[in-house]
Amino acid sequence: HNGRWGLKAVAPRLWNALPDSPQQLVGVVGLEIHAQIRSNTKLFSASAVRFSSPPNSLVSFFDASLPGTLPVLNKRCVEAAVMTGLALNCTINQKSLFDRKHYFYADLPAGYQITQQRRPIAVDGVLNYSLMGGKKKKNQVVRKSARITQIQLEQDSGKSLHDDLQSQTLIDLNRAGVGLMELVMEPDMSCGEEAAAAVRELQLILQALGTCEGNMSEGQLRVDANVSVHRPGQPFGVRAEVKNINSARNLARAIDYEIQRQIQVLESGGTVQNETRAYDSKTGGTVPMRDKEGLQDYR
Amino acid sequence: IGLLRNNRRNILTMLSLTIKEVSLALRKGSVSPTELCKKCLNRIKKTQHLNAFITVTDELALKQAQEAETRLLQGIIITCIDEFTYITTRRISKQHVPPGYYTPPFNATVVQKLLDQGAVLVGKTNMDEFAMGAGSTDGAFGPVRNPWGYAAPYRENTGLNPDSDWVVTGGSSGGSAASVASLTSYLALGSDTGGSTRNPGSLCGVVSLKPTYGLLSRHGLIPLVNSMDVPGIITRSVGDAALVLDVLQGVDVKDSTTIPAPSLSTQLPEDFDVRNLCVGIPNEYHAPGLSEETVEQWSRVADMFERAGARVEQVSLPHTQYSIVCYHVLCCAEVASNMARFDGLEYGHRSEIDSSTETMYATSRHEGFNDVVRGRILSGNYFLLKQNYEHYFLKAQKVRRLIADDFKHVFNSGVDVLLTPTTLADAARYSDFTQEDNRTRSQQDDVFTQSVNMAGLPAVSVPTALSRRGLPIGLQLIAPALQDKRLLSVAQWIEQRVGFPSISEFEQPSDQWQKTKKKHTV
Repeated sequence: HNGRWGLKAVAPRLWNALPDSPQQLVGVVGLEIHAQIRSNTKLFSASAVRFSSPPNSLVSFFDASLPGTLPVLNKRCVEAAVMTGLALNCTINQKSLFDRKHYFYADLPAGYQITQQRRPIAVDGVLNYSLMGGKKKKNQVVRKSARITQIQLEQDSGKSLHDDLQSQTLIDLNRAGVGLMELVMEPDMSCGEEAAAAVRELQLILQALGTCEGNMSEGQLRVDANVSVHRPGQPFGVRAEVKNINSARNLARAIDYEIQRQIQVLESGGTVQNETRAYDSKTGGTVPMRDKEGLQDYR
Repeated sequence: IGLLRNNRRNILTMLSLTIKEVSLALRKGSVSPTELCKKCLNRIKKTQHLNAFITVTDELALKQAQEAETRLLQGIIITCIDEFTYITTRRISKQHVPPGYYTPPFNATVVQKLLDQGAVLVGKTNMDEFAMGAGSTDGAFGPVRNPWGYAAPYRENTGLNPDSDWVVTGGSSGGSAASVASLTSYLALGSDTGGSTRNPGSLCGVVSLKPTYGLLSRHGLIPLVNSMDVPGIITRSVGDAALVLDVLQGVDVKDSTTIPAPSLSTQLPEDFDVRNLCVGIPNEYHAPGLSEETVEQWSRVADMFERAGARVEQVSLPHTQYSIVCYHVLCCAEVASNMARFDGLEYGHRSEIDSSTETMYATSRHEGFNDVVRGRILSGNYFLLKQNYEHYFLKAQKVRRLIADDFKHVFNSGVDVLLTPTTLADAARYSDFTQEDNRTRSQQDDVFTQSVNMAGLPAVSVPTALSRRGLPIGLQLIAPALQDKRLLSVAQWIEQRVGFPSISEFEQPSDQWQKTKKKHTV
C-alpha cells in the first residue's frame, strides 16, 4: 500500500477518501535563491565586486545613492542571467523591465532596491536534479524536478554590523548594488533532502556556466526556504520563511526541523504563523526572527 | 558724476550683451575674462535684494576666469540652480540653513561641459525646494525677487514701492531666470519638469528653452521626475540658446536615457522663411484665468506669422483637460520614490533624535523637507499603494500616452510648431501670489507647460512685450521631438520682430533710485 506504485502514492485523493486511511501531514517546500553574479563590476555602477575588502572601499557615488547619479546597466550581468535562464530551460523575455521595491533600511541607501518583479528576464524554467532513493537501500537514482517561476536581476544590499556595546550600527556598502539573480521556485519539493539535492545541482550548473561561484558560506548563493505542511489533496498550509542558512546540509536540517515543528503545532491544535524564522546552527532548529511588522507594501 | 554714469552705463552695456557679442569682445581683448568676472560679481552684490543666489562661488570663479583657455565659451559667466551638482566648498551665508547641508563631490555633466568650454560659474541660484513650485518662493533660502519689479516701467506704471510690492520670478528655477534677467550672468541652467524653466523665463523676460527629453544629460541633476526632467537653458537671446544647446546635447554614458543629437551643430538661419511654415493654435489653451494682455500678445504674434505668409491654423489637443491631473499623479509618484534616499544617513540633514533608526529617519525627513515636498511624497506613496496602483498610477500612464499622441497627431497633420502662452499672466506680486498654496499655484500656472514634459517635446518661451504693469509677457513655441533647432529658428523669427526691450535701458544706478524714493515720500 505504501509502495511507489501503491494507491496512496498514485491517487492520494482516492486514498484519503477511503475510510480509516491515515491523513499524514506532509511538507511543502519552495526555495528562493539569490545568486551573486560573477562579474567584475556591480549591476548598475562601475564599482568592483570583491569579497572581503576594507569596509566602504568599493562604493561609487551611485552605490551611496548620492543625488544626481543614475543607474547604468552592466552588460555582463544581463548575459549571465540569460545564460542561467537558458541552462534552466526558461523562456527568456526579450524585453524585461526594472522596478523599484521601496522600503527603508540602513543598508539600502536609495530607499529602494532596483529589481525585476513584474517582467523579469526569464520565466517558466525547470531545475532537474536527482537524489538517491529507493525502498530500503536508497541505492537508486531518483530523478526529480522543481519548476522555476522566474529569474530576476536585482541589486544586493549593503551589510549592517550591529555593535551592541556602543549601541550603534555600522554600515558597509561594499556589497550594495552587486548584481544578483533571484531564482523563485514553485513549491515542488517536499523535504530537506530534496531541497539540498536541488541546491547542489544548481550550484554545479552555475559554476559550470561561470555565472555564479555558488559558495553558500561566502554568501555568493543565499537560499531561503518557504515551508508549509498540508494533507495531500488539500490546500497548502500557512507558510513560514526560513533564512540564515549557510550550507546545503544545514538547508536540509532547517527544512526538516521546520516541517516537524509545524506538524507538531498543528497536531497540538495550534496554528502556524506566517512569519520569518532564522536557522540556528547551534541547536539545529529555527527561531522567529525580528518581525517584519505586518504586511509590507513595496509600492 | 557724468564720467561715473558713463562708466556704469558701459559696464551695464557689457553685461547686457548676448553670449555671441561678449565672446567677440573677450576675443578682441576689449575686456578680459577676469575683468568681466569681477564686474558680474559686483553686479551680484548690487542685486542682492533679489535673493537670486544661494552660493556665490567668487574665489572659484575668479580662478576659472584666470585660467580660461581660448575655447568656445571662454570667460562667459554662467550660473545654475542648486539642483545641479557642483563641487564647491559651501559657504553658508544664511543662518537658518540647517547644518549638515550636502555638498556634492562631482559636477553635473551639463555643468562640466560648459566649464570645459571655458565658462566661468559664479554661483548656484535659488529655487523652490527640490524644484517643486511655480514661484521660487518655497525654498529654504527665502523667495527670489523679479528684477523687473525694480525697474522703471513697473515703478512708474503702477506707482508701487518695489521693496514692499515686489513681484515673484515664477518657478521653480526662478533664481536662474532672475540672474540672466538682472544681467549677473549670460547663461543660466534651470531644470524643467512641468515648466520650471519656461515659467520663470516668461515672467522674467528671458529666453528659456526646454530641449527634447534625452538630448541633455541628467547626470548630476537631482531628479524630481526621471521620466520628465530635463536641464533647461536660459539666455537673453535665442541665438545664445542655440549655441549652448550645441555644447550640451549628446549622449552621456552616465545617463542611459540620453539620445544622440539629431544633427551637426548648425547656426540658426538669419532670415528664416515662414512662408512654408504652419503654426498651430490649440483651442484648448484658452485656459481660465488667461489674462487679456497675454491673449493680445498671442494674437499679435499669430497675426505677424499670417501677414508674413505662414499658415496659421486652429488645432485641437483633445486630452488637454486631463493633463494637469495626470501630471500631478505621475509627478507625486516619482517624487515619492526619488525622495526616499534622503534619510539623513549618508548625507544631508540628520536629526538629533536617534532613539531608533525609524525615528531618526522620520524626524530627519520631517525636519529636512518643507511641507510642499512632504505633501507630494505622501500623495505619491498613496498613489503607489498596491490597492491604488492600477487606479491611479497605471491609469495616469495611459492618459499620458493619449496626451503625447495628441501632439503626434497634430504634428503629423502638417503643423510645424504650436504657438501658445507660457503663463497665464505677467508676474504676480508676492503678496498676491502667496494667497494660494504651492499646490494650487502649481496647478494653475503649469497649465500650458506640463503637457510638453509628458510628451518629451522641445519647447521655448520667448519674451514678446512688457505688460501695462511694466512686466514681461512671454509666448511659448512647441515642436516635434528632436526638432529643437527648427523650434529655435522660429523663435528667433519672433524675437527679431517683437522688439522686447533690454532691462539695461531702464536701469538706474541704485543710489539714484534712493533719491527718487525720497522724492516720493516727501
